[in-house]
Amino acid sequence: MNGYAGKILRIDLTDRRISTIYTKDYEQWVGGHGMGSAIFWDLVKDKAVSGFDPRNIVTVMTSPLSGTLVPGASSRTEVQGIGVQSSPIEWFTRSNFGGRFAPMLKYAGWDGVVIEGKADKPVWVDIRNEDVKIKDARHLWGLDTWKAQQEIWKEVSGHGFSGWVELDSERRTTQRPAVLTVGPAGENLSRTACLIHDAGNASGQGGFGGIWGSKNLKAISVIGTGSIQIADPKGLMEARLWAQAKYSMDLKNIDASWFARFGRKRPQNRFWDPHESARLQACIGCHLGCKERSDTGYGNESTCEETAFYAGYDKAKHGGKQTSAAYIATDLLQKYGINSYEATRGLTYIRALQRMGVLGRGKRLECDLDFRKLGETEFADAFLNMIAYRKGIGDDFAEGFFRAAKRWGRLEEDLKTGILPYSYWGLPEHGYDPRAEVEWGFGSILGDRDINEHDFNFLFWWPSGAIWAGKTPQPPAEQVVKIVAEKLIPYENNPLMLDFSTDNIYSDHIAKLVAWHRHYTRFWKQSVLYCDHRWPEFINSKVPGYKGLTGEGEPRFFNVVTGKKFSFVDGMELGKKIWNLDNAIWTLQGRHRDMVHFSDYIYNVLFAGSGNYAIYYLPGREKGWWDYICVNGRHLDKAKFEEFKTRFYNLEGWDSRTGWPKKGTLESLGLKFVADELEKKRKIGV
Amino acid sequence: MSMAKLGDPSHELAMRVLTEVDFELRLNGFILRERAGALPVTMYSFEEIVSLLNDPYPRVDFNELEGWVRETVGDAELAERIAEAIRKGNNDQDRTYLIRDLMEERLSQCKMEGYYEENIA
Repeated sequence: MNGYAGKILRIDLTDRRISTIYTKDYEQWVGGHGMGSAIFWDLVKDKAVSGFDPRNIVTVMTSPLSGTLVPGASSRTEVQGIGVQSSPIEWFTRSNFGGRFAPMLKYAGWDGVVIEGKADKPVWVDIRNEDVKIKDARHLWGLDTWKAQQEIWKEVSGHGFSGWVELDSERRTTQRPAVLTVGPAGENLSRTACLIHDAGNASGQGGFGGIWGSKNLKAISVIGTGSIQIADPKGLMEARLWAQAKYSMDLKNIDASWFARFGRKRPQNRFWDPHESARLQACIGCHLGCKERSDTGYGNESTCEETAFYAGYDKAKHGGKQTSAAYIATDLLQKYGINSYEATRGLTYIRALQRMGVLGRGKRLECDLDFRKLGETEFADAFLNMIAYRKGIGDDFAEGFFRAAKRWGRLEEDLKTGILPYSYWGLPEHGYDPRAEVEWGFGSILGDRDINEHDFNFLFWWPSGAIWAGKTPQPPAEQVVKIVAEKLIPYENNPLMLDFSTDNIYSDHIAKLVAWHRHYTRFWKQSVLYCDHRWPEFINSKVPGYKGLTGEGEPRFFNVVTGKKFSFVDGMELGKKIWNLDNAIWTLQGRHRDMVHFSDYIYNVLFAGSGNYAIYYLPGREKGWWDYICVNGRHLDKAKFEEFKTRFYNLEGWDSRTGWPKKGTLESLGLKFVADELEKKRKIGV
Repeated sequence: MSMAKLGDPSHELAMRVLTEVDFELRLNGFILRERAGALPVTMYSFEEIVSLLNDPYPRVDFNELEGWVRETVGDAELAERIAEAIRKGNNDQDRTYLIRDLMEERLSQCKMEGYYEENIA
């Protein structure tokens, strides 16, 4: 089994039993999400239990590419199980993080970890190659995520952070163990709690930190000295050189006009001001690196949303100057182990309530936070500490701000106005608003979570920046949609799939776009675990005709590692199969099309005001001509979205009255056993 | 485009510039990032707006901002100058920088008045 370690670690915390699942038994699902969903299907008999129920399991899966030299594909780890964040049902969901964990797990000889049951007291799992022990974690319980990792590093290496770690008389390494852990938020069963690895890698969505807390599981540590068999090592090196020569930018001679994703220039993905002195830090195997370590020691490895949490408040408080408060606040998120989307949107929300006179000292919603200190480290720490330890009204915050609003009797009103920006499944809005960038919102509401898949966001970013600066966006919209549409196999060469004009967003074309996206990501990104930062690449300005790596790159790297002969279409088909398995699980959890709708403000409130001031552009047709068109200043039409759902369900072969998968669809995908189970439970589509 | 200096603010105006407003008088804007989309920013003070305008990718409706300065803050001179900047800017990036500079100037004048600490909510 080239690319695989060959076995999956199964840990029953209730009985403290350690056993093995042979990877071969699940090889048809390839890895990551596909394997995780299949294992979940087999092991969790009652799929409608709460995420906090000991019968829920958590899978932590790698892929055949993990730990290899495939660029932008070596480091991701897929986490699955019944989550605790969404509402009204705690959906079977997923999350994903980078760093060193997946490669180290493979080097130790494991393709994944399956966690079952609940320990009777706090434990951590110590994996040293094939040697696995469940250990007492009472001395770690209560530590933040960074201190817990430091303690485990010391315990495993025996002598601090340098020198050799001897695993036995013949095997040793200079590497630190890779540790995945929860902080106080997880220990206290917050639905906003994350799993944290190293300084800034978080499995953030789904509340998996709280689920580990409910299982009394503090951490999993892994260190390995093995390696991974590659089917065609020479072919892998040739593929890397091919990708570098054809798609990578010359980082020493950067041209601001370049555009690319796989081979791009240094990423600009932070909300705080750049560190004065920092070096790039990359996940294992990555050819670029999107994280940093600074000379201040603050904000290390954090990127994306968590850097937005406090950057603006800090500047507003300190005369426009970015101080250490912004970086330290982000570090606190990581240390407490709190989901940054919940914290950021939640802080905006409770501040609105404070300005309304509803929340504060002596107010209806009693809250001790001193908002005069907003922007100072002291305030950020007080806010996050309340969540992590459920202090005072923090007990409500820890449930997530959707559930908090419900407790306060404000949910309906605040979703109607949108001051609680939670657009789907009780989850915080990401920033690609469903009213504008519909593939993101539609994919989220038809799935289980904020998809957090940035595959089409370049379509908004380039024109929105260029037009703001008074420039003509390049390449033109018509050329861009043509290039991208060629790659949307098996729906290729239909540019209307990328027409974001209001007249088109409920059409069969957009249904195909959403379906393509669900199938692509379920396989290539969440099962093979190509990184969302680098894949897919539709467009690359270095290549004549601007055609990016996607379509050719994914199967080429996959095949040289595994020795399989997978085509891009094979991957899309398997992605569809995995997506259908997930929908079957949601169906057994209680999903019905009647509950698949956005929060009221998405239908009632215009996105970003009247639209007189244009901020958000996407490709679209106006009077028959392609252009980048303004898509803010609109809301969704509820009746038309219902029609869209019918189109989407029909396209997927699901029952349009219920949204449940049909028997014929499941059987055609090789999922007869799933169809049989749904039929037995009278939840099969007709 | 060169802009003449703003006149000195009165004591009362300085206090209004440095005071947070209630929920109903808030101003909404966004900051944009490729991998985060449009992050909504709710602003309750003049200084928060200046902070937003200093972001590399800020978005705010200039006409709403002009109205906010005129009606909520009661700074007619600054509102006129913002209106002028909206007219004269070649593009939204230009307008953002012109308005940012004007608001920074006003904020700096007001802070020199020395009423900052006691007037924030």
